[in-house]
Amino acid sequence: MQQIAETHHTGLIGSQPVPPAAIDEAKKLRREPGFPTAWLITLPTAWLILFLVLPLLGIIVFSFWSSSGHGMEPALTLENYRAYFEAEGFFDPESDRFLTPSVFLRTLGSTLYFTLVVMALCLLVGYPIAYFLAMQVQSFKWQMALFLLAMVPFWTSYLIRAVAWLPMLGRRGLLNTFLINIGAIDKPTSLLLYSEFGYTMALVQLYVVLCVGPIFFSLAKIDKAILEAARDMGATSFQIFREIIGPLSLPGVAIGMIFIFVMIMGEFATAVVVYGGKTTTTGTVILNYYAIANYPFAAVNALMLMLAMMIGVIVILRVVNIRKEL
Amino acid sequence: MARWTPERRKKAWIKGGFSVYYVIFILFIYGPMIAMFVLSFQGRRGGTSFPMRGVSLHWWQKLIEPSTVGDLQGALLRSLVLALIVMVITALFSTMLAMAFRKRFTGSNVLFYTVMAGLMIPGILLSLGLASLLRQVGIPPAWYSSALGVHVVWTLPFGFLVMMAVFNRFDGRLEEAARDMGADEWTVFKEVTLPLITPGIVAAGLFGFTLSYDEFARTTLLAGEFNTLPLDINASMTQRIRPTLFALGTASTLFSLLMIGLFLVIYTLLMRRFR
Amino acid sequence: MTARKPTDTSKTKRTGMSRRTFMGTTAGAVAAGSVVGGFPSIGHGAETLRTIGLGVSVINEIQGKASQDLGLKVRGQALGYGAMFGKMLNQNDQYEIAEGYFNDMDVFIPAKVWQPIDTQRIRDWDKVTNLAKTGKLTPDSNAGQGDAPFRHLWLDADGNRVDGPSRYISMLPGWHNADSLGYNPEETGRDIESWADLFSEEFKGQVALLNVPQIGTMDAALAIEAMGAYTFKDKGNMTREEIDFLIKFLIERKKEGHFRAFWETFGQSVNLMVSGEVAVQSMWSPAVTAVKAEGVPCIYAFPKEGMRGWHGGLAISAKVTGKQLDAAYEYLNWWLDGWAGAFVARQGYYMSVPENVKKHLEPEEWDYWYMGKPAAKELPDPFDTIIVEKGEVRDGGSYWDRFSNIAVWNSLMDENDYLVKRWTEFLSA
Repeated sequence: MQQIAETHHTGLIGSQPVPPAAIDEAKKLRREPGFPTAWLITLPTAWLILFLVLPLLGIIVFSFWSSSGHGMEPALTLENYRAYFEAEGFFDPESDRFLTPSVFLRTLGSTLYFTLVVMALCLLVGYPIAYFLAMQVQSFKWQMALFLLAMVPFWTSYLIRAVAWLPMLGRRGLLNTFLINIGAIDKPTSLLLYSEFGYTMALVQLYVVLCVGPIFFSLAKIDKAILEAARDMGATSFQIFREIIGPLSLPGVAIGMIFIFVMIMGEFATAVVVYGGKTTTTGTVILNYYAIANYPFAAVNALMLMLAMMIGVIVILRVVNIRKEL
Repeated sequence: MARWTPERRKKAWIKGGFSVYYVIFILFIYGPMIAMFVLSFQGRRGGTSFPMRGVSLHWWQKLIEPSTVGDLQGALLRSLVLALIVMVITALFSTMLAMAFRKRFTGSNVLFYTVMAGLMIPGILLSLGLASLLRQVGIPPAWYSSALGVHVVWTLPFGFLVMMAVFNRFDGRLEEAARDMGADEWTVFKEVTLPLITPGIVAAGLFGFTLSYDEFARTTLLAGEFNTLPLDINASMTQRIRPTLFALGTASTLFSLLMIGLFLVIYTLLMRRFR
Repeated sequence: MTARKPTDTSKTKRTGMSRRTFMGTTAGAVAAGSVVGGFPSIGHGAETLRTIGLGVSVINEIQGKASQDLGLKVRGQALGYGAMFGKMLNQNDQYEIAEGYFNDMDVFIPAKVWQPIDTQRIRDWDKVTNLAKTGKLTPDSNAGQGDAPFRHLWLDADGNRVDGPSRYISMLPGWHNADSLGYNPEETGRDIESWADLFSEEFKGQVALLNVPQIGTMDAALAIEAMGAYTFKDKGNMTREEIDFLIKFLIERKKEGHFRAFWETFGQSVNLMVSGEVAVQSMWSPAVTAVKAEGVPCIYAFPKEGMRGWHGGLAISAKVTGKQLDAAYEYLNWWLDGWAGAFVARQGYYMSVPENVKKHLEPEEWDYWYMGKPAAKELPDPFDTIIVEKGEVRDGGSYWDRFSNIAVWNSLMDENDYLVKRWTEFLSA
């Protein structure tokens, strides 16, 4: 990946007083600071090779094998990829499937689209929470406590929480009962559960905390003195946000968005539980083929999903280069 | 008594507004848990959805009795131990990697995207891929070896990115100063770097714990002969789902809240001592 | 237990101890070494038999009792369907016994992960009914389409399929049941006697279907045939054209908002019914029992077109040899002895050796669960919770009524890949 040459955000107030060039100059005169890189990376790298790279190579190999109906047979075939991309009637103007990509590509596309929607909602819902924790709550103690409070639902197994959706949102669930009691609706609504609305809300609810954390971290590091100085100079709250807080929190936003992006792209369980299985994601496609032991085709779907995710992460990192901003 | 200048009043309003928003937010993310709390006190003959058929502690009691399908207590214990090990390794590895990435080194891009690949690789296939490899070399999978391996692959990128955020715009001058005064690298790390990045390390570890404790897909073929908690709960769904699950969920929520309370108390006491 | 030491050396220090503690808690009823019911004791706890399966048959009480009776340690690992299937196929060195299902045999027989079972080593083989052997429980039974057990039972000594009967079998037939529609009479307002009601306009928005492509399509096919809209040559093995028709039909219904949800696990189907989300759905008989146990009225329909059957059983991993193989056969024989059959009967499942099961059930239980007669007294489930009130009648009649009219068995079709692809299109439509 090519690095983006950008060290400062435009309009950044109070960046480091010493120009980076001068620091670099000074560094050259000293011994190499910090622990030797080799120490730091050897063990994690070995772990990743063993538990990630080798299995991943296995998956790539499997994607070229053929399915025997009861497992895999070593081969070198592009058949699985053809089956993935092939769309009947794509080039046939007469067909009702004219220019309609294969169902697997369409599923990947709709998964991606839906992921983007949920990411936007999570940012909208989560950012103010991170802002509140970092800017409005004064003591570190309470910041941590309130942040952890938002984490607590995560420590109940997902599968248990999933079972609790029905009694909460169902026709005879708590929320419907509550809405009827306060007179908001006359009869139970089916809209809360097994609907796109319920599904979207559930995903936001499940994953929003993942972006609160990183945004909170980058906001908490902002020197309050800078904000005071800006205010003293007559900057409005909006200006302060646009010029200082916003840009400085970008790395946190980027990291939070990466978390949510990969989580929702890989989702398969929530669609079953909250949407009643009325949609498919690439995650469910992979599971369905895994379930019939067509591992090569599951592998192709998995690799395509990974490719889409990789592109997404690279795009996010192009917008905000968290590595360059170290 | 503080005087209420317009400036102060405006600040108070803003803070009040955010506080209300936070409370709504908490209600939102605790949503389904409310039904879970209530239904954990379901009567003996009731199930995991409304209506309530009486009120009892029956399902709480079941929590400590041997289960019908699977082994809830054993699975819970295994998952907790696994999550704790994953927590430590995640915190350690992500700190090491993020520190390495403060400098440029050959292959850093490859390593960066390899770490990221752990986020993207679908769990069920990672599990299949590693299981096939293990079978080739004749090593049986187990929750404390192979499952641990892939759990860390999954949690490491989370911790790593958090640590990247922590080191992002990290002021290196303090470390420089310490080095100038002749401190060796260990001392610099222990005395200067570590205190500054501790919240990040804690966060990375928390990510590790949380994600591992809840991981299902990656564990399917790699847990070996004993189930982790998600596998066990998944198995129990091939039968009638009993409110015991809700009692477990409620118990773990209460336990977590207790831990947060404990954190507040200990932190306050420590601060008082050091002041 | 000591036979299986962790081979992983990297962390034995740390986990070695905790592992042992876990074993203690996991063990449940450890083999007491007593010889009960004439079973020869093998190895006195030195042997561990690992068995995997669903929560239908892998239940701590069952393996605990087996351990006790056999004097060896039978350790069950219950899994969800997907996890079970993956492990059975890919890791046959991780278990000795697979408590599997005949509809997966198109995968397991050619994969040769299990060994042929020698019927000469099965003591009560003669008492196993003809349901699994010939498909005819009674002489005039309808064998049904699809993967009926008798079509996947018979093997030669090398594990290849043969037209039965032969000396070797793929899996020892065990627990089984017939599924149909479950409905809440208060919601439907009438009785349901045909699969066609699955697509009846009046239940629009209150219908759920099983979200397992192989089985969900069969329920839909039964309903479509019952409506007279189409006739499938073999619902257990559809052609592409038939699948296309079916999926097109389902997509239209889905777009009309006919389906409330698609369920995947037993527990989900129970909750859908109890919570009042659905009025009619494809359902398993014990799930109906579970709904009723929670105080919600629920009837298990006995459609005139017949039911959809499924059949489980016990297979032995190809890796098992020597003393462990002897132990495995003892476990299989123990299952046929009737205690386990009686245990699963109280949950609504049937066993391949009714005459042995009868010995372990009280007469009232036998009459209710197998004969389809009204309960002469309150009856418990296996865990001593009363689930049947006095006077209740089991829906669907007697065992022989049910299983002489199976329309189709759970199956794996030749066009399975295509089916899954089209099912994906259906769900995303």
